[in-house]
Amino acid sequence: MANSTYALDGLVVADFTSHIAGPYATKLLADLGARVIKVERPGGDPARRLGPFLGDEPGIERSGTYQFLNTNKESVVLDLKSAQGREAAHRFASAADLVVTGCPPAVAARLGLDYESLARRTKAPVVAITNFGSAGPYRDYALSDTVLFAMGGEMFSHGTVDREPLKLGGTGALLQCGAMAGIAALGAIHAYELHGVGQLVDVPLFDVQINSVDRRSSTILAYRFSGRVQERPPGAGAGIAGGIYECADGFVEVTASSGNYWNRFVDMIDDPALRDPRFAEPAFLVSPEAKEIVDGVVYPWMFSHTRLEVWAAARRAHAVVAPLFTGKDVYEDAVFRERGLWTEVEHATLGSFPMLGRPYVLEKTPWAIRRHAPILGEHTEAVLAEVGFSPDERAAIRQEVPA
Amino acid sequence: MTGKLPLEGVRICDFSAVWAGQSATMYLADMGADCIKVENPFVWNPMTRAASPRINPVIAAAIPAWLGGHPKGDPGPRPWNNSPAFIHVMRNKKSFTVDSRRPEGLAVVKALIRISDVLAENLALGTLDKLGLTDDAIRAERPDIVILHMPGFGRTGDYREGRGYGAHMDAVGGSTILRGYRDTSPYTNTQIFAGDFFAGMHGAIATLAALRHRRRTGEGQVIEMSQAECSAQMFPQAALDAAWNGREQRSIGNRSIEGFVPNGVFPSAGHDRWIAISCRSDAEWQSLVQFLGSPEWAIDPTLDAAGGRSSREDEIEERLTEWSASQDQFDLFHALQAAGVTAGPVLNSADAANDPHLAASGTWTRLPATADYPETEFAVPPYHFSESNVTIRTAPCTLGEHNDYVYRELLGLSEGEIDRLTAGGHITTTYDPTMLASA
Repeated sequence: MANSTYALDGLVVADFTSHIAGPYATKLLADLGARVIKVERPGGDPARRLGPFLGDEPGIERSGTYQFLNTNKESVVLDLKSAQGREAAHRFASAADLVVTGCPPAVAARLGLDYESLARRTKAPVVAITNFGSAGPYRDYALSDTVLFAMGGEMFSHGTVDREPLKLGGTGALLQCGAMAGIAALGAIHAYELHGVGQLVDVPLFDVQINSVDRRSSTILAYRFSGRVQERPPGAGAGIAGGIYECADGFVEVTASSGNYWNRFVDMIDDPALRDPRFAEPAFLVSPEAKEIVDGVVYPWMFSHTRLEVWAAARRAHAVVAPLFTGKDVYEDAVFRERGLWTEVEHATLGSFPMLGRPYVLEKTPWAIRRHAPILGEHTEAVLAEVGFSPDERAAIRQEVPA
Repeated sequence: MTGKLPLEGVRICDFSAVWAGQSATMYLADMGADCIKVENPFVWNPMTRAASPRINPVIAAAIPAWLGGHPKGDPGPRPWNNSPAFIHVMRNKKSFTVDSRRPEGLAVVKALIRISDVLAENLALGTLDKLGLTDDAIRAERPDIVILHMPGFGRTGDYREGRGYGAHMDAVGGSTILRGYRDTSPYTNTQIFAGDFFAGMHGAIATLAALRHRRRTGEGQVIEMSQAECSAQMFPQAALDAAWNGREQRSIGNRSIEGFVPNGVFPSAGHDRWIAISCRSDAEWQSLVQFLGSPEWAIDPTLDAAGGRSSREDEIEERLTEWSASQDQFDLFHALQAAGVTAGPVLNSADAANDPHLAASGTWTRLPATADYPETEFAVPPYHFSESNVTIRTAPCTLGEHNDYVYRELLGLSEGEIDRLTAGGHITTTYDPTMLASA
């Protein structure tokens, strides 16, 4: 691997995004070898103020959200409200193979980051990550992770029927949108390198969620086909066995409703009561007596096994059962570690700390954290020099953004 | 529009299943890849074309709408061509049928691999190996191919024999434990499939990157993804809080991990109507207070900063609930946004289908009626390219729709060979009757 070329070797990205969705898109590119020049506003990307903080000590260089989202990037601080700042931004854009922006259309126009302004300076593709796109009645509306999932995603049918609809954990909806923008960016790069086609690629967060294969595309199509509106279910259970069970040290997710799933589940529990031949009869499977027998066996069995014991038994039987892991489990899990889910980051001022590693393994081109997320403005001087600003001009630009 | 597509000239031999794999190749097909689904008419691949190959309207009505909402509630004789759960991930793809378990079928698959640039799969571990399609065997046919493997829990390590669908990836990736109500046990959590969505997108990203490397160097490679590990990347804050601070995060319901207070989903007027509200800053809180008419409880200066509001979040949520319950969710949405408060209605599937913004911004495209469903509006891809023709160029492929294209045009088989394969049941537009009878 030492001499390997990165898949995105030689690719330069001018990154004008902040917060979560945009930075995740460009992180995906940076971790595969692209050079990403991240332009931060004076004071820095607001994600620098989001936890968790290293050692629970807040600070703009200690944010876990920021550290995760900005691995392998360079940080340049510019005030895009100034003419000089905008000139610098346009020089970065013209030196890049891809420009990624992440502000609402009205703001983009004000800062000179709209496609019309950028296209005057570069032929490279521009991926514009917007809330609601560049047209339509909601164009200038604001979004949060929760509001995004409420409107675009399938929040309505998540949760239980007697309660309010539920969001995803963390900032899942925004990260999903970042991944979609990553696809768009790589598509744009292929078109640019293969055909010389530069273009605007608009990726509205709302549209990404409307297209979510996490049920939303399906519920909309189901409504169009059948008039049925997908509602929240009454609870987690389904059929004779299924849903989430409590076990000795937590919870497991079970699918065992019928057929093969049921047979493998029976093999996993391995109790003679479940091998009663009556379970082969569909009518018996839905009877209260069957449910009573199953619950009487399964609940005690679960409580006498840990999650990892349940999962080991499930894997032996190929039962469709898996444990509910917490973030702590994800961090501590020996199998994940052995496979390389975690990596260690050497930080210039913070020492070393663990970081979530690769989401995939490419056999011949590395995924690697070559450098930690940048210190605010760490690369301002060097990158401004690279795009031809004289020492005096650099000093003037830097003066506009007192650290 | 130049029509020049990002993946022009790239062909995919597609063994993918369910949502994660089939969506990964859908994104590549959107980008212009010639994506060819390899479908075995003797094997029913669970949760890939429909809930079951035989579904009557009673069963369809008894299963959730996303899975059972076939046209007019009646799946008809070919549920695999009109499932609301799966036909959309067939857009821009082609389908041909072959029984790859038999030698003559495997020979056809190998001939297709020889002219393919990518092979994609997320079948149960070992399925391709059993067919004789190990990585080495695939590369013997096409040395520079990109192979995308997306098993649930990886191809190495103790979890590799795990079996699961989206809900199980969500469980192991850490999603499920983070997304319940704050005041109930995780055993009440209902299923979603966020991991399918996330892993599918990452499968496409890894493949797009590998294809760039191949275009520049001529070198193919194998990509391996554990869907569960990939899903864990959706919750980096929880993972890093554990790694850095030893904290085990659990669900906080609809509250925000970004420190937004209030942040939640509140009832509005009507049956099952809700509005999501986030005050993303202290300024947004002040805007909300003004919007509420500056009631006494809200103008308390101890609520000015998010920290102060956080310690009285229960009370704030109760007050907002009392207030919002009589308001129309759409009126409130527009009024709050105009007032500078981040808010939006929880759109059910009918609301989304009829949403005025989506209609005005070109989200839907009308696809003509087929034998299996009426003329219907489908969502176009969420990335809007100004030059490349990245949209729904061809309707979702029906089973075996492109047998002629594959057997005649691509592989150039003789009429005699095609007759023999047809007689052997390889070439068809329906599933094998024996398999259907036992389904």
